[in-house]
Amino acid sequence: MGGRDATMVLLDENGIRCDGRKIDEPRKIMIRAGGLKNADGSAYIEFGDNKILVGVFGPRDVHPKHMSNTDTGILRVRYHMEPFSVDERKRPAPSRREIEISKVIKEALEPAVMLEKFPRTAVDVFIEVLQADGGTRCAALSAASVALADAGIPMRDMVAAIASGKVADTIILDVNNEEDQAGQADMPVGYMPNLKKITLLQLDGVLTSEEYKKCVTVGVEGCKLVYEIQKQALNDKYFGKKGD
Amino acid sequence: MASKTVLDELKRTQILELLEQGKRIDGRALDEPREIAIEINAIPKANGSAKVRLGDTEVLCGVKIQPDKPFPDVGDKGIFMCTAELLPLSHPTVETGPPQAPVIELARVVDRGIRESHMVDVSQLVIEKDKSVVGVFADIVVIDYDGNLFDACSYAATAALLTSKTPKWTMVDDKVTLVDGEESPLPTTTIPVSVTMGKIGNHIVVDPNGDEWDSMDARVTITTDSDGNICALQKGGSDGFTLDEMVQCGETSIRVGKQIREKLKAAQEGVQ
Amino acid sequence: MVDKRKYVIPGDVITTGPFRPEQNVMLVGEKIIATAVGISEIYDDSVKVIPLTGKYIPKIDDLVIAKVNSHTSLSWELDINSCYVGFLPAQDVFGRDFSAHADELATKLKTGDLVAARIANFDRTRDPLVTISDRDLGKIDSGILIAISPSKVPRLIGKKGSMIQMIEQATNAAVTIGQNGWVVVSCDTPEGLLKAKIAIEMVNEKAHVANLTDQVKEMLDKKSES
Repeated sequence: MGGRDATMVLLDENGIRCDGRKIDEPRKIMIRAGGLKNADGSAYIEFGDNKILVGVFGPRDVHPKHMSNTDTGILRVRYHMEPFSVDERKRPAPSRREIEISKVIKEALEPAVMLEKFPRTAVDVFIEVLQADGGTRCAALSAASVALADAGIPMRDMVAAIASGKVADTIILDVNNEEDQAGQADMPVGYMPNLKKITLLQLDGVLTSEEYKKCVTVGVEGCKLVYEIQKQALNDKYFGKKGD
Repeated sequence: MASKTVLDELKRTQILELLEQGKRIDGRALDEPREIAIEINAIPKANGSAKVRLGDTEVLCGVKIQPDKPFPDVGDKGIFMCTAELLPLSHPTVETGPPQAPVIELARVVDRGIRESHMVDVSQLVIEKDKSVVGVFADIVVIDYDGNLFDACSYAATAALLTSKTPKWTMVDDKVTLVDGEESPLPTTTIPVSVTMGKIGNHIVVDPNGDEWDSMDARVTITTDSDGNICALQKGGSDGFTLDEMVQCGETSIRVGKQIREKLKAAQEGVQ
Repeated sequence: MVDKRKYVIPGDVITTGPFRPEQNVMLVGEKIIATAVGISEIYDDSVKVIPLTGKYIPKIDDLVIAKVNSHTSLSWELDINSCYVGFLPAQDVFGRDFSAHADELATKLKTGDLVAARIANFDRTRDPLVTISDRDLGKIDSGILIAISPSKVPRLIGKKGSMIQMIEQATNAAVTIGQNGWVVVSCDTPEGLLKAKIAIEMVNEKAHVANLTDQVKEMLDKKSES
C-alpha cells in the first residue's frame, strides 16, 4: 500500500518520470465494455491506478416532465467519487469539484451523442470513481463513451481522453497524481478521433505559447492511443468470439 | 430495495405456485442462499476492501482508517461507522440526490449488525484519550441490484473489515503522527453474518432474489456472531410474521449463518 | 444484394460514395459513417448498420409483449420496454360503441397485466399506438416474463424459427417472443420452465458465439438433476 513519495524527483536526468515512465508514455489502460446487469450500457476502466465504473440508462422518460425538451433528447451526467476512492476519506455528498466535472464531461459528450433522434427523452450517464490516482475525468470520459456505445445510443463518434502536462519544464503525456500535485501544468484533453474535434479541454498551470501548442498536440495524440483501447473493448464484447 | 416498478402480477403468481410445490424460480431450496463470490482487496489503495456478488447483486465496500477526534463523551473509544449508498447505475429506478428511507434503513441495519456484534473493538482504537482516536469507516456502494442488499452489503463490509490493515499513529509534540512501516491487521473479535428471509404468502425463503424481493410481503434480517448468538434483527415490509415463523427464522439464521461464516473465513484466510 | 459486411463502432467510416444513408449511419461529406455498434451492410444504393445492442424502437406491425402501467377512463398506457410508452385506446378492446361511463377499463386489463400486442402506428413525434384486437393478441394469463436484449430477438427465433422450436420441443414450453425483447414462457412442469428460461438466457448472453445452437442443444439434452 505504500504510496510513491511526493517529494520524489518528477523527471530524472535520463528522462524517466517518478513512476518509471518515459515522457510520452501513458499508464497501463484496460477498458471492459458491459458488465452491469441492470444498466442499459456500461463500461469499466483501469487507467493506471484509477478504477472507474460507468453505467448508462436511456433513452428514457424524463422526470420531472418540465425538464424534457420537445425537440431533442437531453444528456445528464453525474461524476461521483466513492468515500474510499481517495487518500483521505471523502464525504458522500457531491462536492463542487464533482459538480463541475460532471458538467465538463457532459459537454464533452454532447457533440458526439445524437440526442436529436430521441425528442422528449433523457440519456443518463452515471460515473463512479472507485479508486482515484490523477486523471479521473479523462478516464471517466473515455469509459463513458464506451458505455454509451454499449447502450446502443447513436453517436457520431467516440470520445477519447487523456491529460497532457508539464513537469520539470518538459511536456509529458498522462499526468498521474504526484505529477498533478507537484508538477507545473495539467491539461485534460477530450477528442473525437474521426471527426477530429476537441470536446474537452482544461488547463491548470502556466504554459508559454509554444508549450501550449505542444501540450495540446501531445494530448490529442494521446487520445488516439486511448481510442484504440476503446475500440478493443467494444470489439472484445461484440465481435470477439465470432472471428471475421 | 429500489422502488417498485409496476407490479408484475404474473411473476408473483408464478413464484407462489412454485412455492406451493416447495420450489423456487431459480431452482434453489427455500432455505438456500445464492452463490456468494467474495473478492478481497478490490480497492488496493484503501485500508481494506471487498466486492461481493450475490446472484446478480453486486456491492463494493471500501474501508478507510484514519485519525479522528473522539465523540464528545466517549474519549476512550475509537470510531466505527458504516454507510451504504445505492448507486444510480445499479437499477433504472434509483434516483440521485439525498438517500431515501429504504437506503437509510439498509445502512443502519448493516451498521447495527456489525456494531452490536462488537466485531471492531473500538476500545483498541485510541491514540490519546479524549484527544485523538482512530476512525474506521466502512463505506458500501451498491453497483448492481438483484434483491437482498442487506446480506450482500453486510458480507462486503465484514469481509473488508476482516482483511483491513491499519497503520499506527502516535502523538509527537501533541500532533498525531504516522509511524512508518507499522501496519497491522485491524483487530476484530468475531464474524457477524446476516441472513435475510422473505415472506411470500405463507412461505419463508432465504436470500430472496430480485423477483422474489418484488413479490415479498415482509422480510426479516437476522445477524448472528461466531458464537451462534443473535445480535441484531430487523423486520421490514408491510405484512407480519407469526410467532412460530419468527422463531423459525431465528433458527434458520443461525444454521445458514454458520455456513456463510465459513465462506467469510475462507476469504480472510486467502489473504493471510 | 449485400456487398460487404464489416464490424463497426460509432465513428467508423464504412465507405465513401453516392449511397443513401439508412438505419444507424450518417452521411458526412462523401463518407458514410456508422453511428452504432453493429454490422454494416452495403447495398447497391444504400448503406445501413444492423445494431448489436440498444433499446427497442417500435416498428409498425411488430409483435410486442407489453405491461399495463396505468389507465385513464379512455385508454391504457403500456410499458413496451422502449423509451416510448404504448397507447392502447379503449375502443380497441371494447369496440366502437365504447362509452366512458358504462365500460370500466380495469375489467378487461388492469395495472400489472401482461399482453401480447401489435404496434399499429408510430412516428417519433407521438407515443406508439398499440392494438390487441387480433386473434393471437390479448391478455396473457400464465407464464413468466424474461427480458432479453431486443437485438438478440432474431437469434432467439433462429433461421425459420429453428432455435425457438428446438427450445420448445425439448422443454414442452410455449414461448411468445416480442420484438421488444420481452419473452413469455409457460410450461406445465417447473423443470421445463427453468430449462427454457436458461436456454433463452443463454442465447441472450452468447448470441455472438459461433456454435451457440450446439451449446443450447447440449444444455437441453442434459437430464435435469433431482
